[in-house]
Amino acid sequence: MPTDQGPDDVIARYLGGEIGAMNAQLPKARKTLTELLHEEHPRVVCLDGSEHSFKIDELKFLASILDDRERNELLLPMIIEVHSGRSELVVRSRRGVEAKVLARVLDMPVSVEKTGIRIYRSQLGSVRRALKTATQYVFTL
Amino acid sequence: MAVKIHVTRPTKIELARLKKRLRLAKRIQKIIKDRLSILVMEFLQTVRESAEVRERLQKEYEEAYKALSLSVGYHGYAQVEQSLMVSSMPFSLHASTRNVAGVTLPTFQMEQDRDSSSWFSPAEDSSLIEYASSAAQRCLSGTVELAELQSALELLGDEINKVKRVNNALEYSVIPGLDATIKYLSMKFEERDREEVARLKYVKLLIEKREAYAY
Repeated sequence: MPTDQGPDDVIARYLGGEIGAMNAQLPKARKTLTELLHEEHPRVVCLDGSEHSFKIDELKFLASILDDRERNELLLPMIIEVHSGRSELVVRSRRGVEAKVLARVLDMPVSVEKTGIRIYRSQLGSVRRALKTATQYVFTL
Repeated sequence: MAVKIHVTRPTKIELARLKKRLRLAKRIQKIIKDRLSILVMEFLQTVRESAEVRERLQKEYEEAYKALSLSVGYHGYAQVEQSLMVSSMPFSLHASTRNVAGVTLPTFQMEQDRDSSSWFSPAEDSSLIEYASSAAQRCLSGTVELAELQSALELLGDEINKVKRVNNALEYSVIPGLDATIKYLSMKFEERDREEVARLKYVKLLIEKREAYAY
């Protein structure tokens, strides 16, 4: 059988870097809706140093469905966790404000679990269509 | 496709290392597949949005050209041109970026100046010109929206190609290569074990024969 001194380390380094590159777009720190509404050009800085801007229309839509307290609690962008090998996705939620937003977007009640709010891939299109810049993906193992 | 076997040292430590790497490669492939499906979903959604905006824009342009030709027909070229010359664009375009599953996409935000609500003053210009101007304004915002979607399409398409290449490399080269190497090493060690057993049996036989002769 043919044998070859393969570039093992290169592959290992590449595979490691691939995961890092996938999640490099995550924000360093999230901002509340109230903070973003007061900014002229609402944006957050990502881990790779790039900027993620928010559409003002989306922020206005979110502001229209939330009260003042909820606007202070809602952290943006909302993080959608994509677990490898699972069909459902999880929207991270600590205080449940995200549930109200998603219920409005999906036009159906959603429940908050320990890990977050579970949504299905078929619902992802509607969420992303309504909240293009207000949501971001994170890939986990 | 022939799979190459990469063996640096045919040792058990190397085998354990390769098994660990295979597990890592399989897990990463799962994530890459997830990312690919997300990117494809975003791409298809952008295609749909782009088609919608394009259709809407076509209607808006038709309307704008109709309104312009009506106002030119009513007022004549000279007056329309004069109105156009004195008008200024009361908006600015803010370009920034957004991230979608690791892809940086451009976003454009049209911002209308707060001081002026329209390009034309209703006192000086007719309603026809005003209507044409507002139709043109709608066309402009639609064009900006379409530009954003088109560039997003291109960038997402490029990224999908890249991710597909990585996925194919893992699926058809790296993982089968690691599998084959692990199989090759396992077979080699099994062969070594069998040889060892045979050797021991032979030695045992020799000892037994020697003991028999001694008696």
